[in-house]
Amino acid sequence: MPVVGIPVQMLLDRLDAPPGRHELVEHLYHLGCDVEGYATVRRFRCRRCDNLVEITETEEPPVVCDRCGTDFRQTPDQIESLGTTDVVRMELLAVRPDMFEPGGLARVLRNYLGDAPEPPRYDLAPPAWHVTVDSSVDSAACRRPFIACAIVRDIHLDEDRIKVIMKLQENLHWALGRDRKHASIGVYDLDTLAGPEVTYRAVGPDELRFVPLGFDPSSPGSALTPREILEQHPKGMAYSRLLRGFERYPLLADTAGQVLSNPPIINSEETRVRGSTRHFFIDVTGTGERIVNKALNILVTSVAELDPEARLEQVEIRYPDRIAVTPDLSPQEVVLDTTSTARRIGVDLDREAVSRLLRRMGHDVRPMDASHLRVLVPAFRNDIMHPVDLVEDVAIAYGYDNIEPALVPTLTVGAPLAAEEAAETTRRAMTGLGFLEVITLILSNEQANYDALRRPRGDDHVRIENPISVDQTLVRTTLLPGILDTMAINANHPLPQSVFEVGNVTLLDPEAETGAVEHRRVAAGIIGPRADYAAIRSACQALLREMGWALEGDPGDDPVFVPGRGARVLATRGAERITVGVMGELHPEVLENHKLVHPAAVFEIDLEPLW
Amino acid sequence: MTIALPELDVMVLGALATRDGPVSIRELADELGVDQSKVSATCFVRSGAGQVTVEERTEIELRLGPRGRALAARFPERAIIEALEARGEPVPIAELARMTSLDKKEVGQSLRWLQKKGWAKKDRGTLVLLEAGKAALKATGEDERLVAFLAQRHGEGIPGVMGAEVLAAGIDLVAAKALLEGRTGVIDERVRKRRFVSLTDAGRALWESGVSARKQVNQLTSELLVNGGWRDVDLRPYDVRLEAEPSYPGKSHPLVRVFQKTRRVFFELGFSEIVSPYVESSFWDFDALFQPQDHPAREMQDTFYIGRPGRCRLPGAGVVDAVRATHENGGDTGSVGWRYAWDRDLAARPVLRTHTTATTIRALAEDPRPPRKVFCVGPVFRRETVDYKHLPMFHQVDGIIIDEQASFATLLGTLRAFYTKMGFSRFQFRPGFFPYTEPSVEVFVWSEKKQDWVEMGGSGMFRPEVTEPFGCKTPVLAWGLGLERLAMFLYDLTSIGELYRARLSWLKETPLCR
Repeated sequence: MPVVGIPVQMLLDRLDAPPGRHELVEHLYHLGCDVEGYATVRRFRCRRCDNLVEITETEEPPVVCDRCGTDFRQTPDQIESLGTTDVVRMELLAVRPDMFEPGGLARVLRNYLGDAPEPPRYDLAPPAWHVTVDSSVDSAACRRPFIACAIVRDIHLDEDRIKVIMKLQENLHWALGRDRKHASIGVYDLDTLAGPEVTYRAVGPDELRFVPLGFDPSSPGSALTPREILEQHPKGMAYSRLLRGFERYPLLADTAGQVLSNPPIINSEETRVRGSTRHFFIDVTGTGERIVNKALNILVTSVAELDPEARLEQVEIRYPDRIAVTPDLSPQEVVLDTTSTARRIGVDLDREAVSRLLRRMGHDVRPMDASHLRVLVPAFRNDIMHPVDLVEDVAIAYGYDNIEPALVPTLTVGAPLAAEEAAETTRRAMTGLGFLEVITLILSNEQANYDALRRPRGDDHVRIENPISVDQTLVRTTLLPGILDTMAINANHPLPQSVFEVGNVTLLDPEAETGAVEHRRVAAGIIGPRADYAAIRSACQALLREMGWALEGDPGDDPVFVPGRGARVLATRGAERITVGVMGELHPEVLENHKLVHPAAVFEIDLEPLW
Repeated sequence: MTIALPELDVMVLGALATRDGPVSIRELADELGVDQSKVSATCFVRSGAGQVTVEERTEIELRLGPRGRALAARFPERAIIEALEARGEPVPIAELARMTSLDKKEVGQSLRWLQKKGWAKKDRGTLVLLEAGKAALKATGEDERLVAFLAQRHGEGIPGVMGAEVLAAGIDLVAAKALLEGRTGVIDERVRKRRFVSLTDAGRALWESGVSARKQVNQLTSELLVNGGWRDVDLRPYDVRLEAEPSYPGKSHPLVRVFQKTRRVFFELGFSEIVSPYVESSFWDFDALFQPQDHPAREMQDTFYIGRPGRCRLPGAGVVDAVRATHENGGDTGSVGWRYAWDRDLAARPVLRTHTTATTIRALAEDPRPPRKVFCVGPVFRRETVDYKHLPMFHQVDGIIIDEQASFATLLGTLRAFYTKMGFSRFQFRPGFFPYTEPSVEVFVWSEKKQDWVEMGGSGMFRPEVTEPFGCKTPVLAWGLGLERLAMFLYDLTSIGELYRARLSWLKETPLCR
């Protein structure tokens, strides 16, 4: 999860009774934030596109602007240092992107810590602008059908606020947008737009040109077609996968035809927000209506928290078949059973107590009957899918520390698995024989699982489709590579060495529900001057005896062994005779493959038939 | 009546009684013709009885180094002055090698010592014998004497010679060392601790009162026991302070010991053990746990997908449809759902299970009737790049409690019981966020070493969207706790790789008790 730094002073300025630094962290823990601690960050501005970059004290200043791609090594005058800020760093919670900037977090803390919690309210001016949505954005050639927009007027920007708003966009892109796939946000300087209509349509890759963010409009050739942006602009290349398969690309333009952006890729340079910007036009486009609305709600209410003088204004969205008005900040209504809430948490709470706790978490509450509440969930909360989500809010407000831990009073009788009991017996026998237990990785590769053992490559193994390294391309079908690896790692350890592993191997099985079946096995190895067939057979025989079986060696031709010195292990008990594995002296070539310079002998047997 | 003592003790006391002052144990052993370690042990026993005093002295021991042995035959500079003397006039340096049977390199090196000793000087490519050199022809230098003496002792089988012995031989050790300064590898000088032993007044009195010897044996034999001979002999005492060879039992792997302890704790709490396959369908690993199909955890980047087998069988239509409906619109659970079109094919894709919650949800689906308490310990797989903290696999313990009386408070109580039994005394419960539990909690334990809270694992109560498609309306407590993390904590490891690529020395040295 990304870690975000929240400017401490901006946060504390928004609280009536700011807590101390230590108390603040404690409160954040109690709210479920994963706090890394306080840090001082340095800020830099890209003079070309006004992008702000923050680095921690251990990081190097940026060499390339991550927004417009300006190379600061070639043009050092384009980067400006803005000094330092203290931040509290914490992991961004995907479910609560509304509380990871100073405005939204202050909103949470004010209610959580305050004596008289007040559900947040935001005034919305009626729409003066509208967006006309063309049916081409919901077609086979281009599918990004939903848009939500807002206007924010009279905002007072400074570097802190610009940075916070940029970060909030990033947070929303990550938490709700799945890296812009489901939702992407654009913020523009309203004064650069000609209203009152913005059109949202799909255009051909070479149909028009505009100057992408970070390019200089006065320099020739800076206007690019959407296709050129995907091929040449750093952001275009980074996000081109989101338009893969599209024949036409989404585009926002104003009444005069000025391009706002090419969502979800990049905004235009002419409409970008500057320090002098006083009014915002905001759009969120995406693949789901709920998500674009949530992203917009979180963004505009946080901006309102950051600048209480800013005024929010709705925009009318004219879809081909209907009209929507965004942002819609009406709360989500959820009916909560307070009796079952208290029972689920395991504490005594009446309806009034639950109401108080919900208010501390920022909800508005209306009583219904003796044990039910109508809860009005703020429009910027994206995590309330079921009343049970409110139970968690109640528990957090109550405080996990205040819940008295108890045990379920019901008596149950426990029991181990037969396989684990057999594994334990095996461990007792093998350790009693002086063997040391090892655990090795379950993922292996063809070379180790077959070639190095002189065994032909089989086709009964589970193959990984997306391995992370060439060492781990399959699930092991034998424990021997782990035993041999252990010997190789310990080449400098005194001899003799005796090791064993109890573990699972996995074999394909078309009959099985998942297509593969695991088998519990034990493998053991000895290495040293006297590691011969008799020694390994003796150990194997002892193990079988302790499990209630006798051993017979059946001449075999497993190429892992010296010819004539390897055998199949037959377990016998009365009339039963089962082949359970192999034992023998390792072939010199196998030893050489593992860079071993002493003789070694191993056995590997299936435990299942023995218990 | 004389006092009976072991044979060697009598010999030692006797030898000491003939001396006034201390004698080194080595010398004493040589004199008695007995192994030094035995004499040493005897001296300590007598010292314990107050009859002798053992004192430790630090001495310098000298040995001939590898180049000293060559010098012992002849110092090359002496060969050169002998040659100069024989010629009676300055000799061109180039001719010296031939005249002395030294090689050119040795001649070159010798010039330094000739000049240092003032025996000869260079003059226009020739070497001139000086007065000191002439005098030296009639005498032997202290350096030469020292080397010769050490060589002689070496030849007698005594390579290490004490400084005192050198002085006793009339050699001026200080002068000899000054002359040899700069000649590396000639003399090897070490500081030795030697033990000296002498009789105390009590010891002398004992000796004079008369002692008789008893036979001493090293080993109690079957023969001595059978014929009763043990009555007439003493078993030689040992220096019980000496160390013995280390030996190690066969042992379970430390991580397995953590599994064993974990299992024991859950049995004690009344849990039954369950199991499920490593190769698992996306359905049980994700969908059944209400993880939407576009959840980041499901991406190829984080989860190992299986190329072969290609598909898993899904459970019966009733269950699949209930899960589908829950994802799409909440179904009958009272949830709004994730609001997307659920894809059966994605659910059938096999993965290497990413958590053992796949095991517990299978158990719940199989039998959701309360009361039930089940757990499993097993490996899980994540597509992680290998580093000191991450491997593509690790182990978890997952458990669930299905019980009408289960609540968040009893979840906290169960977790507290587990970690208390695992040996932790300070823990903290903090809110956590997982897609399949509500409320959720993360457990932190206090690390004395880090002086900070360390996260141990996540848990919570299964959401209705998870349990109700399987017909379970009972509260369900669930947790998945990482065991490597616990093991690294208990065994103070810095890298998770140490667990899976074990050094045998580490396995041997790590004690069973933790």
